[in-house]
Amino acid sequence: MSRTRALSNHARSVLAALLKAGAGWSHGYELCRLAEVKSGTLYPLLIRLEAQGYLEAEWQQPAEGGRPPRHAYRLTKAGVQLAHANPPDRKVAARPGLREATT
Amino acid sequence: MSVRFQRRVANLLCRALESILPPRLRDWGLAIRYEVAEIPEDTRALLFALESLCGLAPRAIGILLMQPFISLFGAAVHASRAGANSGFGALHSPRTVGALCAVGAVAMGLVYMTLAGAPVGYLGINAGALVIGLVLRALVSRIPGAVGRVSGALIFSLSLLLLATALLGLRIEGTARWIGFGGVFVQPSFVLLPLMLVGFSRTRTPLATIGMVVAALAMTLQPDRAMAAMMTTALAAVTATRADRPTSMAFTASLLAFVVTLLRPDAVPAAPFVDQLLFSSFAVHALAGLAVVAGLAMLLVPAIIGWSCDKDSRATYFAFGSAWLAATIAAAFGNYPTPVVGYGGSAILGYVLSLSALPRPVRSRVGSETVPPDDPQASRDIHSKIALA
Repeated sequence: MSRTRALSNHARSVLAALLKAGAGWSHGYELCRLAEVKSGTLYPLLIRLEAQGYLEAEWQQPAEGGRPPRHAYRLTKAGVQLAHANPPDRKVAARPGLREATT
Repeated sequence: MSVRFQRRVANLLCRALESILPPRLRDWGLAIRYEVAEIPEDTRALLFALESLCGLAPRAIGILLMQPFISLFGAAVHASRAGANSGFGALHSPRTVGALCAVGAVAMGLVYMTLAGAPVGYLGINAGALVIGLVLRALVSRIPGAVGRVSGALIFSLSLLLLATALLGLRIEGTARWIGFGGVFVQPSFVLLPLMLVGFSRTRTPLATIGMVVAALAMTLQPDRAMAAMMTTALAAVTATRADRPTSMAFTASLLAFVVTLLRPDAVPAAPFVDQLLFSSFAVHALAGLAVVAGLAMLLVPAIIGWSCDKDSRATYFAFGSAWLAATIAAAFGNYPTPVVGYGGSAILGYVLSLSALPRPVRSRVGSETVPPDDPQASRDIHSKIALA
């Protein structure tokens, strides 16, 4: 499915974090920290990326007993291409703490 | 704020988010809850949960509000694809149809009130009550076993609220039917009694029966002839279709309550845009009268459809239809609120909430019983995902 809108800086940051993980699986809280996005931004984005076929999601059983399973994510082949085509905006990425400009 | 308290609030927020997410997206809510459990610091866990709720809740609520329309559209498409020749296929879910009828009836009420020159705030209150009712209906519908194990306890608890209203509620001209919420007065019997009656028609446990008797006592104390008539008529309908000892006891109690309310004085004056609209609306404008009649007729549509399509649950649909017909007739002849089309959010909330106690369509009943609530689901519906995104 092709995108018609430009990706937001948040989306680019999340894609970059997932790209960096390579074939490894990432989790929600870890992605929030690496991409510097809030969970309220992350999860709608993950849901959209998965619906569009850019993201795989799976439930992973915990290594130690008594812990709940975790939802893990990684980019599909199409997702890797999308991430390469949409790197994070360096000006924004280089200055964490700045919020996105509003109109 | 204590550390334990923060963790509990975070968990509560996650569960709230799960409950409002569409069923096929609920494992995303579960993912967030389990992710929160993995965050070592309680404050960060709470922030994570709060931000997740803020990010997903508005869209989830939007989907909830659109659900009746989506369901009906989906059913219509399914029926047309299947070549259904009865013309009834799209209407096999009385709950969905009921939600649409509620929307239609409130819209008819807004037409009436506009033509009658009601204050704009009245229109806003009714529309707001509809939105709140639809959200509550969706939440109540998702309580597992709402009609089974917990139904009796729920009916009993609600009956205590009605009794408390009769004893401690706002008193006008000797009657105590209302309670105040930040300047807005709600009539708990109109909100809760229809839900209790429809619930009782499906689950007649000893506790539910006691609840009905307590509710009858509350109607006597208030006193409220319209609600006592609603109760008596609905329980008579249940008795007629499926007579047993609990039903007979509840019916007898409600009948006695109704007789007592007829004997007691009821001097509450009529309120404009609220009471006796069935005939008075025609004096405003023919269109206003037609809007009121059409809106009131819509209230009975789910009962008619349910009676026709679901023979196993006829007692419930009969009780639902009888209750709302009784409320309409009472409002036509006495100083009682005209349900849903007249000004007042209580009847709107009551109608929409009572829909949640109607039986689910057979297909959804089977589906909901086979999916454990806390198990992650492997597959998700693509349309729901796109809708949320």
